[in-house]
Amino acid sequence: MSAWLTTLHQTFIETGYWRQMLLGLQNTIMITLGALCIGVAFGAILAICKYFSEGNRALRPLEILCDTYTTVIRGIPMMVLLLVFFFVVFSGTRNKLGVCILAFGLNSAAYVAEIVRSGINAVDRGQMEAGRSLGMSKLQAMRKVIMPQAIRNILPAIGNEMIALVKETSVAGYVGVMDLTKMGERAKSITFDAVNPLLVVAVTYLIIVLGLTRLLGTVERRLNRDKR
Amino acid sequence: MINVKQLTKRFGDLVVLDRIDVEIDKGDVICVIGPSGAGKSTFLRCLNMLETPSSGQIIFEGNDLTDPKVNLNLHRQRMGMVFQQFNLFPHMTVMDNLTCAPIMLKKEPKEKAEARARELLRRVGLEDRADAWPSQLSGGQKQRVAIVRALCMEPDVMLFDEPTSALDPEMVGEVLEVMKNLAKAGMTMVVVTHEMGFAREVANRILFLSDGAIMEEGTPQAIFQNPQCDRLKGFLAKVL
Ligand SMILES: Nc1ncnc2c1ncn2[C@@H]1O[C@H](COP(=O)(O)OP(=O)(O)OP(=O)(O)O)[C@@H](O)[C@H]1O
Ligand SMILES: [Mg+2]
Repeated sequence: MSAWLTTLHQTFIETGYWRQMLLGLQNTIMITLGALCIGVAFGAILAICKYFSEGNRALRPLEILCDTYTTVIRGIPMMVLLLVFFFVVFSGTRNKLGVCILAFGLNSAAYVAEIVRSGINAVDRGQMEAGRSLGMSKLQAMRKVIMPQAIRNILPAIGNEMIALVKETSVAGYVGVMDLTKMGERAKSITFDAVNPLLVVAVTYLIIVLGLTRLLGTVERRLNRDKR
Repeated sequence: MINVKQLTKRFGDLVVLDRIDVEIDKGDVICVIGPSGAGKSTFLRCLNMLETPSSGQIIFEGNDLTDPKVNLNLHRQRMGMVFQQFNLFPHMTVMDNLTCAPIMLKKEPKEKAEARARELLRRVGLEDRADAWPSQLSGGQKQRVAIVRALCMEPDVMLFDEPTSALDPEMVGEVLEVMKNLAKAGMTMVVVTHEMGFAREVANRILFLSDGAIMEEGTPQAIFQNPQCDRLKGFLAKVL
């Protein structure tokens, strides 16, 4: 046990590499949160565009556009998408973190759009009709009646999307972004300690995921407080 | 008050309503009866344009609701609707269910909306349930709240689509009682129903809808005691 602690001390403290690891963690968190913001904002817009264009002839092109986006994005592995962003769309960029966030965000948006869409569809049709029969416009009924109910289906799924996203950002190292995984790998090659850097990285992800899972449980309980 | 002219509704090739003409006057209590699938719900939903007619006109207080230029939301505020499945908003308390539309749409002050809601709740015997969630109410209570929700907009006409069909038998009476009182108070009502007793007692006119047409219409007396067409005779033999 104490031998292992000595090794840990040598690998992270003596080399001062713990600072790099923290930096990596910070980047991982930034990519995740940034991508989540873009994903939720853009995904919600996609879903709402789709909701209003469904069954409306004039808005048919918009519907096709939204469908194409989600289909294409969801059909391409994140890794490939990341490479395309770095070496085709933004080749030679100096803001690696920014491009990375954008790539993960636009990817996430496709999934969030599906989450929001199915969350809205899960709300009983009668709810919209009841709202409309009182004289609400489609938008008003959406805001006051449908969305507050859809959120209950949506938030837990967004939480899961976030958990998936944290883990998925570990491929960011391939395009030279210094995330947690990449820093762990570098620590491994610099300190010649093959075990502990990866162990620390793995445990860090695990802690983040467990924390998010607990948070999600709390949120879900709050949301359902009127369902007795 | 509502003038239905040559109303036709098709779903694809299926003609559900075929050139229907009806006049609904102020103070009328009209019951719509007929076999399942006859188009009763579709007819009612066309009246407030929840269903868009394929052709024909719905003239409500002089405004043609089928005119694309008309502001439907404004006219719907004056047509209350009560659904078979209640359709209360489950994420709001009873009070919020009742006040959200008047506050949002008529810009009523909260106090005024709540005072009216309380008064109406009292009249249907639910004054102590204002802070309950819909999931805590029985079916009969839910439907009474749904009726009050529509009334809170102070509509000129109330549309009911089988308001008691989803209820346990012992709760039907309490809802019909509320509707009877509403009719007595002079509300204009169009009620799709299978409750023949209610139709006979409360309606001043009954429409028998079958095969997409109004096959017969008249006073409860004429419809129940002296039915003319065979369809109606057959229908009454089955339900009475
Ligand atoms: N949205 C729809 N799309 C296609 N067909 C529909 C739709 N709504 C109703 N119909 C059809 O129209 C016909 C009339 O339906 P409607 O619900 O108006 O009947 P109803 O008289 O209310 O019957 P019930 O007593 O069972 O409620 C039925 O054959 C039904 O299948
Ligand atoms: Mg029906």
